[in-house]
Amino acid sequence: MAGPTSAAHVLALLDEDEDSLKLYALQQLDRSVHDFWFQISSSIAAIEALYEDEEFSHRELAALVASKVFYHLGDLDDALSYALGAGSLFDVASTSEYVQTILARCIDTYVGQRVQQAEGGEASLDPRLVAIVERLFERCYTDGQYEQAVGIALESRRLDQLERAVSSSQEPERTLKYALGVSQKLVVSREFRNQVLRLVVRLYEAVPQPDHAAICQCLMFLDDADEVATILFRLLGGSDDEALMAYQIAFDLVDAELQAFMIKVTTKLDALAPKPAAAPAAPAAPVEGVEGMDTDQAAPAEGAPAAPAEPAAPAAIAEADLSPFEKRLALFKSVLSGVVSIELERQFLARHNHADLQILKNIRATVEPRNSVCHSATVFANSLMHCGTTVDAFLRENLDWLKKATNWAKFSATAGLGVIHRGNVGKSRTIMAPYLPSAPGGSTPSAYSEGGALYALGLIHTSHGAGVRQLLLESLRGSQHEVIQHGACLGLGIAALGTEDEEAFEDVKNVLYMDNAVAGEAAGLSLGLLYAGSGTDKAAELLAYAHETQHEKIIRGVAVGLALVHYGREEAAEGMIEQMTRELDPILRYGGMFVTGLAYCGTSNNAAIQRLLHFAVSDVANDVRRAAVLNLGFVLASSPEQCPKIVSLLAESYNPHVRYGAAMAVGMACAGTGMREAVALLEPLIKDSVDFVQQGALIAMALVLVAQPEARAKPLRDHINRLYGSKTSEVMTRMGAVMAAGILDAGGRNVTLGLRAGSGHFRRTAVIGLALFTQYWYWYPLSYCISMAVQPCALIGVDASLRAPKGFQVVSDCRPSQFAYAPPVKVEDKKDKLKLPTAVLSTTARAKARAAKKKGKDAAGGGGGGDKDAAAATGTAEAMDTDKPEAADKEAAEGTTAAGEGEAAAAVEGDGKKKEKAVEEPSSYTVDNPARVAPSQRKYISFPSGQRFQPIRAAPSGFVLLKDTQPEAGEVDYLFEEEKPAAASAAAAPAAADGATAAPAAGGAAAASPAGDEPPPPEPFEYIPS
Amino acid sequence: MGKEVDMKDAPADEKAKEAEKQPVAVPEPAKPLAVLRSNLRLINNAVAQKETRTLFGRVLRQTAAVRKRLSARDVQAFLTSSLPASSSVAQQLLEALQQLADSAMDADGAAANGAAAEDRDAAALSPPAAPLPEVEVYCYLLTIMLLIDGKQYEQAQAVAAAALSHLASFNRRTLDVLAARIYGYLSLAHERTGSLASIRSALLGLHRTAVLRHDDVGAETLLNLLLRNYLADNLYDQAERLRAKAQRPDTSRSMQQACRYLYYLGRIRAVQQEYSEAKDCLQQAARKAPTSAIGFRVCVQKWLVLVRLLLGEVPDRTEFTAPDLAPHLVPYFNLTQAVRGGDLAAFSAVASAHESVFRCDRTHNLIVRLRHNVIRAGLRRTSLAYSRISLADVAAKLGLSSVTDTESIVAKAIRDGGIEGLIRHEEGTLEAARPTDMYATSEPQAAFHARIAFCMDVHNEAVKAMRYGAGGGAVKEFEDATALRERQEEELLAALEEMEEDD
Repeated sequence: MAGPTSAAHVLALLDEDEDSLKLYALQQLDRSVHDFWFQISSSIAAIEALYEDEEFSHRELAALVASKVFYHLGDLDDALSYALGAGSLFDVASTSEYVQTILARCIDTYVGQRVQQAEGGEASLDPRLVAIVERLFERCYTDGQYEQAVGIALESRRLDQLERAVSSSQEPERTLKYALGVSQKLVVSREFRNQVLRLVVRLYEAVPQPDHAAICQCLMFLDDADEVATILFRLLGGSDDEALMAYQIAFDLVDAELQAFMIKVTTKLDALAPKPAAAPAAPAAPVEGVEGMDTDQAAPAEGAPAAPAEPAAPAAIAEADLSPFEKRLALFKSVLSGVVSIELERQFLARHNHADLQILKNIRATVEPRNSVCHSATVFANSLMHCGTTVDAFLRENLDWLKKATNWAKFSATAGLGVIHRGNVGKSRTIMAPYLPSAPGGSTPSAYSEGGALYALGLIHTSHGAGVRQLLLESLRGSQHEVIQHGACLGLGIAALGTEDEEAFEDVKNVLYMDNAVAGEAAGLSLGLLYAGSGTDKAAELLAYAHETQHEKIIRGVAVGLALVHYGREEAAEGMIEQMTRELDPILRYGGMFVTGLAYCGTSNNAAIQRLLHFAVSDVANDVRRAAVLNLGFVLASSPEQCPKIVSLLAESYNPHVRYGAAMAVGMACAGTGMREAVALLEPLIKDSVDFVQQGALIAMALVLVAQPEARAKPLRDHINRLYGSKTSEVMTRMGAVMAAGILDAGGRNVTLGLRAGSGHFRRTAVIGLALFTQYWYWYPLSYCISMAVQPCALIGVDASLRAPKGFQVVSDCRPSQFAYAPPVKVEDKKDKLKLPTAVLSTTARAKARAAKKKGKDAAGGGGGGDKDAAAATGTAEAMDTDKPEAADKEAAEGTTAAGEGEAAAAVEGDGKKKEKAVEEPSSYTVDNPARVAPSQRKYISFPSGQRFQPIRAAPSGFVLLKDTQPEAGEVDYLFEEEKPAAASAAAAPAAADGATAAPAAGGAAAASPAGDEPPPPEPFEYIPS
Repeated sequence: MGKEVDMKDAPADEKAKEAEKQPVAVPEPAKPLAVLRSNLRLINNAVAQKETRTLFGRVLRQTAAVRKRLSARDVQAFLTSSLPASSSVAQQLLEALQQLADSAMDADGAAANGAAAEDRDAAALSPPAAPLPEVEVYCYLLTIMLLIDGKQYEQAQAVAAAALSHLASFNRRTLDVLAARIYGYLSLAHERTGSLASIRSALLGLHRTAVLRHDDVGAETLLNLLLRNYLADNLYDQAERLRAKAQRPDTSRSMQQACRYLYYLGRIRAVQQEYSEAKDCLQQAARKAPTSAIGFRVCVQKWLVLVRLLLGEVPDRTEFTAPDLAPHLVPYFNLTQAVRGGDLAAFSAVASAHESVFRCDRTHNLIVRLRHNVIRAGLRRTSLAYSRISLADVAAKLGLSSVTDTESIVAKAIRDGGIEGLIRHEEGTLEAARPTDMYATSEPQAAFHARIAFCMDVHNEAVKAMRYGAGGGAVKEFEDATALRERQEEELLAALEEMEEDD
């Protein structure tokens, strides 16, 4: 075994003249290079010279030896170049470590050169390198490692090899699916990603059983409405199963919330539809004389929100004449317009509402109404807690208290109604009617409530705004009042999000050019909303105006608007980012941060992260630094586990603005995930010494923990309860606590903040809503934009008629209590606590001599009285005040539980849980349709076999199309059916319906009644100074 | 770990002595088997958390602590309880241990009984169906350790080779530390049988793999083993070439390996006659070596003494009198005395008296080089003592036979700057120069510079070794501030209320 101890003698042969001696030396060295490489490396020059020597007959061997020596020396680049020189002597098939390492290097180099070439660089590819890579591809195919081939092909941008990998694969579907997933997660360049998507679509179509859902998702990314329409049209014309698939695809597309794209698809479908289709559509539409086939317009016009499920009387007659295909088409278009999903989600939220009014009552009782900041935060919390549930009982019960909101607070409070009624598109105008002038240009009680109502209309119609566009436009044109213009601009922007509506653009631009600070700010944002994600040329015009104007508000509005315009544009936004981040004006740089964040939203792009980190530590303006850190949250939204790591150092910055930004970044990137790392990072920030950092951390924590199991959220709940009542904490902190309470229980505890749709794509509306929400720092009313980001955590099964059958159930493979709603807050405990302040007040009343000092304390304790004599009276009044709602609360609580028992799914779940706890908790349970599925619960969901209805795709959330396996089994019971007569009668005779609901309303629980009919909106209120 | 260093580098008899010195029984040490079991848990935890630093440090420390008391029965019991009986690894290891266990049984029946009792406990624990690779490798490690301690080197080599082939099928970073330890024992087993050259190629291959996989611990250990391997065959040139070309991680992962590296480097430099560099390396090695690694420190000290003598320095007497090192350094102490005195006769006497020791220590060739230094030291003493002396007298004093030779030697010493003086060839005398004022030269500055450079070096290394603690200090400060503010406000409220009460 022990051979020679040195290679010196062999190396000496290299200096000989005889070629055969050299050859012998090289052969010897090749064999022993493993043991003596360090010795040979001193003579490497001689070996290199042999390789260069054109006349030497065994140059390749010299190259191989040199390559091996360089490999041992750790210089892999040189090793690779010599290995390439070795030609056939370099054995690709070998499994030795040397060959494997060189091959890996080979691929890396090739990928690097290809990418450089693709990006315009003049990299020349070594043909030998290419040859080796080709051989590697061949090997992948022969070994059946198609996924590996796909990976290399994508990395090295070889579309031809990608195509080959898929076509030669045994399971093309699986390989394609893999390619699709990888390309969306790992391919950095947007342009190449689009190329890959096109190829994938083409390949998908060639597959015998194409995955139409995936194809349509790809096409949506490519913004190819024509192709989508064609595919869907074909599916609709096919078998029942194919039609179901078409509906499913429509739901998926709607989930991504690209309004402009949907409109294009609908138009295209109409063009494709055979001529007679237009004729039956016409009689259905003219109920209100609306001319056009736009279902967006038609559905609300019919007055029944459940239009597709239950067409109004005249439409039903028309339907009878329709052929089955046309019926399908009509149904399909209703899905595409979003009406079906919005309506079903609204029904779900209204029925499963578990918002705890007691929490709000406690907040209201503790927060002094004179403090307008906390007051409006409470209104915000209420709106968000009832977001989409249409329950406004709290507002109704506290009208006096609500009247304390004045001016902009009133604007916000009215907008809050929009949040509560989010998605109630059919009745939006009825709800808002009291605040709007009866005729355009007419007078209303207050400009603030009118502006707020317009904003609310936008929020109700988020992204589905065809129904209110005209109204908002008219209001915008018809008013010169800045507040109304403000509301109309925001409303229009949100309702017509991303539609690139030219007409609206002109009107809003006129408002902007009026150079009014308040209206101009909203106009800037509105323009951004209208052109969201389009990267339009008009951006330059807006930026020029931002330079011109003197108003900081307008500059900020325009800057953030520009960010919205560049949403998801990635490299295409680079020009704008460069320009804005180099501005002298800090507000424009602030906008530049948002452009970076939104343009690279969810890409985890390294360059963007670096840029943001650079600004986060080096900019002179605090606002810019805060925005830079905050936007890291957007960029990292696709990899939430990275975000806490990256901002952890920033979270310990000396600068409170940076700390605030870090908190919000984590909150947004990890929204709804409940990640432990995120919570661990935020915990110390909640106890920060600076008030606004605490505020940010509280909000971020609520964002992270929304819709998480109660066990996780409990500490935050307790902390919030301590904070909002604490006299020692700052106003900002308390405001944060109240807002956090609202976010934590958003949408009656049935929604999460979903930045991503079920398919993993980012929901543009949600991201933009969150970006606008962060602007609450400057402008409180914008906090309501968070409602754009909510996503019901529901699993709703619908069958071919797009109605939700009752018989469908899913199994949740976990303990029922794990994801149960939080138990309601107990009233008794609070009573004792609340009596304490009255006791203090009575002692203060006794000590008359020190009245002067007490005056201050009374005010702090919440008492209104400043006068010596009034002190005692105030004390008793206070006591009564706190007692009264208590009694009402109890009734209300009982009312809700009683009403809750009637409910189908949630109450059964809740009650059942209580009973079972005494015995033993089962390890799984079934949930009825529609099921509440918390984000972290998704992995436990399964679909039992043997049901009448089977899902065509086993997705654990969102809408699932069901196939009726026993159509002969008779009539199907559908959910949400029972109120239909009521709804119809309500439409026919609203007065009668009002009378019917009036009786339970006395009990204070009308809102919770499951009858489904919305209670009348609260009275218009006027501020009466007390 | 420290003990290991000692085991490898100290001759066997020293080890025995040292074992005697150890306190016989630390009050109630944990039973070896219990310690092994707890190590098993630690390994499982560490692997689950993908954490290699602390837990493996603890596992290996605890293993080293029980090593002396470990018996074949213990290891057998551990193997059966931690590996499934069907696994090939378990069978192979149990077989390897059988012979050792048998001999132990003969020697000490009582201990075997104790272990048998524990065997029954072990039977109660059923081994997991698929043990972690880390656990398997740990079992290998224990077995090899035991076999080496039982002087069954061939058996140990076989098991270690099996362990290597087992390791080759994994690429897990959690294995690195254990694997490095196995390499060490493999090399030790071969060293004991004198077959180091046979594993050289294998070690080179492993080293390459370790470098490619960024297995820093493995690469470092293997590089040291290779150096040791080459040095064992006096292949200093090869060792130096490998050392110069091999990639080394910037910062050393293990203090022990860093020590060894410095020691080997010092030896290479000493042989290459780059004494000042050699001195730096050896000094650092001596300083960094753990106090318990007596054998290692003795070796370093021997080389350090020689290198300093070759540099013309005279080591302090205290360096030879450290209680734990003193017995081993006696020959070198005598040697130093001879060199210091410049007494060539005494030097020759010492060199021949201890020749066998020096050969065993592989320092003989350096000692041959020392002869020159002895002459020079004698010459210096002479030149200081006499302002003028005849060369014949010099030859007599130095014990040199020829006067002409002496003249050449003196001439060379003057040219090299060893002594200052003038040779009067015609008169056959050496005239010494006036002693110069040392403080007028740049000598003190150079001495200061050397010390300052050393201090800066220590400081820089300390800074590099610093780590930031977990959990930010900044956040804690905020908490304190909030708490302080709340407390102050509460106090204020309380004070106000008190005032009211008073009224």
